[in-house]
Amino acid sequence: MPLSIPITPGTVDWTGENPGILLKNADGGFSAMALFFRVSWSPAGSGHLLLLYGSPQSRFGNEKAPNVLLGDNPDLAEFLKENFIGKLGAFRDAAPFTHLQYKQALSVRSDGDPMGHRYSEIVAGHDLCVELAWEKLEQPIALELVPEQVGTQEHVMFTLLVPARKARIMVNGSALQGSVGSRVQAGLETTTAFLYFAETWIIP
Amino acid sequence: MTRVSINPGKVEWSGENPGIYLKESPSSDYTTLALFFRIVLSPFGRGHGALVLSAPQQASGWPESVNFLMTDNQTLMRWIIDNWVAKFPAFRDRPGLDTLTWLDIEAVSRRPSDLKSSYRETVRGSGVEVEFVWRDLGKPLPIEVTPENSPTGAHDMYAVFLEAASASVLVNGSPLPGHVATRQFFGRTMSTAFLALSETWVTPPPMGN
Repeated sequence: MPLSIPITPGTVDWTGENPGILLKNADGGFSAMALFFRVSWSPAGSGHLLLLYGSPQSRFGNEKAPNVLLGDNPDLAEFLKENFIGKLGAFRDAAPFTHLQYKQALSVRSDGDPMGHRYSEIVAGHDLCVELAWEKLEQPIALELVPEQVGTQEHVMFTLLVPARKARIMVNGSALQGSVGSRVQAGLETTTAFLYFAETWIIP
Repeated sequence: MTRVSINPGKVEWSGENPGIYLKESPSSDYTTLALFFRIVLSPFGRGHGALVLSAPQQASGWPESVNFLMTDNQTLMRWIIDNWVAKFPAFRDRPGLDTLTWLDIEAVSRRPSDLKSSYRETVRGSGVEVEFVWRDLGKPLPIEVTPENSPTGAHDMYAVFLEAASASVLVNGSPLPGHVATRQFFGRTMSTAFLALSETWVTPPPMGN
């Protein structure tokens, strides 16, 4: 529940939406990883960014399973890579991180209903179209997390979590391999496919 | 109070809800009350709304007066008007809120610029174009309130506010009357023109639960 002080002490780092899909192999390792950002405010402006590790075990990926940053604001992409993605161990420590190539997105749109049956984000560039689709959506939960509970270990974070029990990452019409797994966030048993709306990262 | 990581309440809706309230002088009543809604999650789906009252004390609607609500999801906005807007201090007991005309939206576009010098939302439909323009934006303020400090008096609310030093509401190219003023909000003096991003409303569980 919110604190009794209306204005949270600290500096807003960025705010927006940050859904993701982490697919796993049968052995528990990641087979594909994707984070999508719809940023409404940051020091680098607003915009969209898709981070895709189609081949998390490979530095460069391939045509059918690329490792790429696809966005419409290069400054925002750089800001998020250096100040946010680079602080999330699962992404920073993966083979593709230091070799990521930025590509310009030509269109970004969302579809469906996050309180309905299906929700999706579609990001398209010159020769690459990626769709993230979430299904079997659960009820939304408001979270207020302290630095010890977030991936960066540095922020207070407000967000609205909608867990999904089924999800797909489609690259140019073909689904990447893997299944949604389980994880624990702030003591909450949840899944590796998630929508995050109204997410605000605050430097205390 | 200790922070509770998992809010036990019921999430009602989430999205963006910036506004522009204008006065002719600091001591006068509001001449223009305008709110924009971009709702991304609710029990009634997603949608947009542009609420404009430039005759809030007049029981009339468009085109007799500039009192209208443009939307692409009428069910959602009926729910929002009844359960949120009607309880906001600036909108309570305004005859224009009951008599406004409902119009359909055909297009919505956002021009955030550099998030400092200006920020625009434009809504078109039913022969009307409304442009909300915020200028000279301040730093983002992270807001978290309990029902005691909430504008509805009934919800927890999270948001990021950016105050604007000046702002305009244009209807078919003509600016509505009034100027940005100040008000007491969230325990401090704040501008009556503001962006409200990443906003989520939660109904706390009944006392004792």
